[in-house]
Amino acid sequence: MTIIERLNQTFRLVFDDDSLQIHPHTTANDVDGWDSLSHVNLITTIEATFRVRFTQKELLKQRNVGDLVADLERKLAGA
Amino acid sequence: MTFTSVSWFLFLPAVYLLFRYSADRWRWLVLLLASYGFYASFRAPYLLAVLLVVTGASYLCALRIAASQEESRRRRWLWGGTAACGAPLMLVKYLPALQTEANSLLGVSWTFCATLITVAVSYFTFQAISYLADIYLELEEPERHFGRYALYLAFFPKLLQGPIERGGDLLPQLRQPYRFDYQAMRSGLVLFGWGLFQKVVIADRLALYADQVYDRVHDYSGVSLILATYAYAFQIYYDFAGYTDMARGTARLFGVNLTENFNAPYRATSVADFWRRWHISFSRWILDYIFKPLQMGWRHWGKGGTAAALVITFLISGVWHGATKGFLVWGLLHGIYLASAISWQPVQKRVYGWLGGEKRGWLKWWRVFVTFNLVCLAWVFFRASTLADAWYVISHSLYGMKGLRSGLLMSQGLFELLFTLLLVASAGTIGRALKSLPEQRSAARRWCLYYAVAVVILFFGQATKSSFIYTKF
Repeated sequence: MTIIERLNQTFRLVFDDDSLQIHPHTTANDVDGWDSLSHVNLITTIEATFRVRFTQKELLKQRNVGDLVADLERKLAGA
Repeated sequence: MTFTSVSWFLFLPAVYLLFRYSADRWRWLVLLLASYGFYASFRAPYLLAVLLVVTGASYLCALRIAASQEESRRRRWLWGGTAACGAPLMLVKYLPALQTEANSLLGVSWTFCATLITVAVSYFTFQAISYLADIYLELEEPERHFGRYALYLAFFPKLLQGPIERGGDLLPQLRQPYRFDYQAMRSGLVLFGWGLFQKVVIADRLALYADQVYDRVHDYSGVSLILATYAYAFQIYYDFAGYTDMARGTARLFGVNLTENFNAPYRATSVADFWRRWHISFSRWILDYIFKPLQMGWRHWGKGGTAAALVITFLISGVWHGATKGFLVWGLLHGIYLASAISWQPVQKRVYGWLGGEKRGWLKWWRVFVTFNLVCLAWVFFRASTLADAWYVISHSLYGMKGLRSGLLMSQGLFELLFTLLLVASAGTIGRALKSLPEQRSAARRWCLYYAVAVVILFFGQATKSSFIYTKF
């Protein structure tokens, strides 16, 4: 399973929507219920699922799912 | 000089003509000199010094951040630049208040630090800090042309009260060659006119009622206090929105589009929604540079971390407005509103579900009504002269009507009262009509409305108040 497929499962779990389909350009505007509180839940769930920890800078730079995937790929490759 | 001064109406055309007929490569210099000249009109040389220090420090630190490869060096330049930009703001804004408190606590009477005017310092400092942060986060490349960077901070249409422009939004526009655009000129002048109307006809008129009560709260009770607070809520909105439209209209003359700062804030259905509609450039700033870093840093505390981040962010917002207990309480109230919504939201969703869904008409208007009153409750602390006065207003609002007729409603006469109510009720319609004017094909219709607005401004504008509320923050 690719990173984006695993990430999609995490999104579906956090937003409780089995039909959700993310892609690299997806942002908070595209997902119902994705606000600042659910964003924190999303990040902590991703960190627990992928066993990574994002730095403050990485979190503040992320603008879309593509940025999230790129950070995950880099961290998992370096692990 | 402000946007409502007589000198402004001589300054602006002169600057525009000089700008228009200068070679394109020197237009940045015309605007920069005009901006510093505009700022110098406040006759406070230390303000120009502060602007120069903040400009120089942020320009240099941004270049050093971009040139550094090592993360710890980049972070040092970021924090160093932020401190260098923030220190002058802290000094001019808070030293007089600290001196007053020290005098009161220690029983001395130091006067080495008289009250300083701080106009514009907050706004360009916040811009400089956001620029540094965006360079550090590699969201933008640094501007290497010092003059253009200086203009980004000092651009006179937005100098006094914002909008707080991001580097990525304004700097590219300043790099573009200027092309005369008749439609942009026309829409800019109309937007400026509408802003002027909001300020001198609506806001300054509402101020007569709000000030009547808030300058002598103990002469009023009950409905009088509530109506005066509502009047202030609309006064501050039209004052600030009016300024923003004048700033945006002026900027359009020079080919620059500034950020929208308001989006019908009193139609918000929650306090969170209010902050997405009120002083948008400022709320985006505190969201991106204070709230998000705190929230992400405390993310493993769950809802508690988010709540704490919200309270601290809005406390800072309150303190930014001024070093008084009233502003602190105002900020704290908004922080508490937003923090408690985190726990309240799931319950609220269930209740709305039982009531047929949150999009139902009456429920939406109920939410607008509740949100407006929560915001007004906080405005009491913002406007009242002292905490004791604010407490008096709140504790005496629910009963009585002392001073209602003769003191408040009829204080300016019946005609003024009816005219004010008509203005507030029709302001939205007038604004939409004016903004859609440039697209109208009928020149006669356009010119009739321009003439009507000009006549109302000239004959019904309040000449007594020339300052803008948000200039003092």
